[in-house]
Amino acid sequence: METEELLGLALDIGEEMLISGAEVGRVEDSVRRILTTYDVQRADVFTITSSIVVTVTDAKGKTLTQTRRIRKYATNLDNLHSLNALSRKICAEKPDSKAIRGELSQIHTGKTYPVPVLCAAFALIAGSFTLFFGGTALDAAAAALIGAILKFSVLLIDKTGVNMVFANVVNSFLVSALAFLCTTVGFGTHADSIIIGNIMLLIPGIGMTNAIRDIISGDIMAGILRFCESVVIAIAIAAGYSIAALLFGRWSL
Amino acid sequence: MTYAVQMVTAFLGSMGFSILFNIRRTKLLIAGFGGALSWGVYLLFGAVLDDGPLRCFLAAVCVTVYAEIFARVKKTPTTSFLVPGMIPLIPGGALYNTMQYAIAGNWEQFGTAASYTIRVALALAAGIIVVSSVMRMVVAVIRFVRIRCIRPPQRK
Repeated sequence: METEELLGLALDIGEEMLISGAEVGRVEDSVRRILTTYDVQRADVFTITSSIVVTVTDAKGKTLTQTRRIRKYATNLDNLHSLNALSRKICAEKPDSKAIRGELSQIHTGKTYPVPVLCAAFALIAGSFTLFFGGTALDAAAAALIGAILKFSVLLIDKTGVNMVFANVVNSFLVSALAFLCTTVGFGTHADSIIIGNIMLLIPGIGMTNAIRDIISGDIMAGILRFCESVVIAIAIAAGYSIAALLFGRWSL
Repeated sequence: MTYAVQMVTAFLGSMGFSILFNIRRTKLLIAGFGGALSWGVYLLFGAVLDDGPLRCFLAAVCVTVYAEIFARVKKTPTTSFLVPGMIPLIPGGALYNTMQYAIAGNWEQFGTAASYTIRVALALAAGIIVVSSVMRMVVAVIRFVRIRCIRPPQRK
């Protein structure tokens, strides 16, 4: 296989892995393993959460570099599973480029849950965590309803393509405003529990934990980026909440 | 009663997130039970320990072992079971409290809540790292021993 083609394919796999939610270390490891399976002298891979840079030196001593910029993630652990299996298979069987490309396109067309199911999942999560954080059954019902609405708002805002910060402000404002509205009407009593159940869907708790995990395992750059991202998102959520609290005169805690 | 409700909702919440992360079939149930396990361990250690982050660390260790085992059984990356299993432990609630204090201008309590959030995140990350590092070492040792036994080093 041509080195250029090999590099492109390895990067395709790495990029997909990073988008699907792989750790930085796993991406670097997989890309390097794939490259060294074929005829290359040396492969250097550098990954942070938003970019992958790979330089290979092939058997003839020619050096090639390619980079990928990752702008958006969509955690898809089923995809990650398939990609991981593919990269293992490549290292074991050394298939040709056509076979790899075929498998990759198969992974691309893999199944995802339909929107109604995702909507139900949002409702389930919001309701569950409202109960988890001490809400009543009625609170949970209100939270589930708001969670389902939140899914639509997330989808819509995703379509418009506004930046992450603004999207989080809007979503958190919507959730908080609806929660205050519900409790004012008498549908649920604890606005706090309803909001926290829904905010679990937005808040970057996983991002925060992964950031520290990256830092401890030595990917300090990636960890710091992820940490900053989580803090910025948390501030955006706080801003949305505070606008709603101001409007509804619930400033006191 | 509250504990029972929390266990059930931890299970449901983790399973809900697994759906969002596109986990499929039996893996959904395994991921959900991971969530219930992590919260169960957290509650269990509540009987002897008072420190939240320390309990989170122990729960993270248990759930990582659980995820590592089932990842090998199901031949899938550990992340598939680790991330959903961590959901009840992640400091979402603490992060929410932190920002609420910041909005209210209650800086004293903001400091306490912020440091608690960071400590929980640190404890969880440390728990994961400890188990996955030990696991990696064990696997390396097993592989080394196996290679030595099957193919003894040839003398030139």
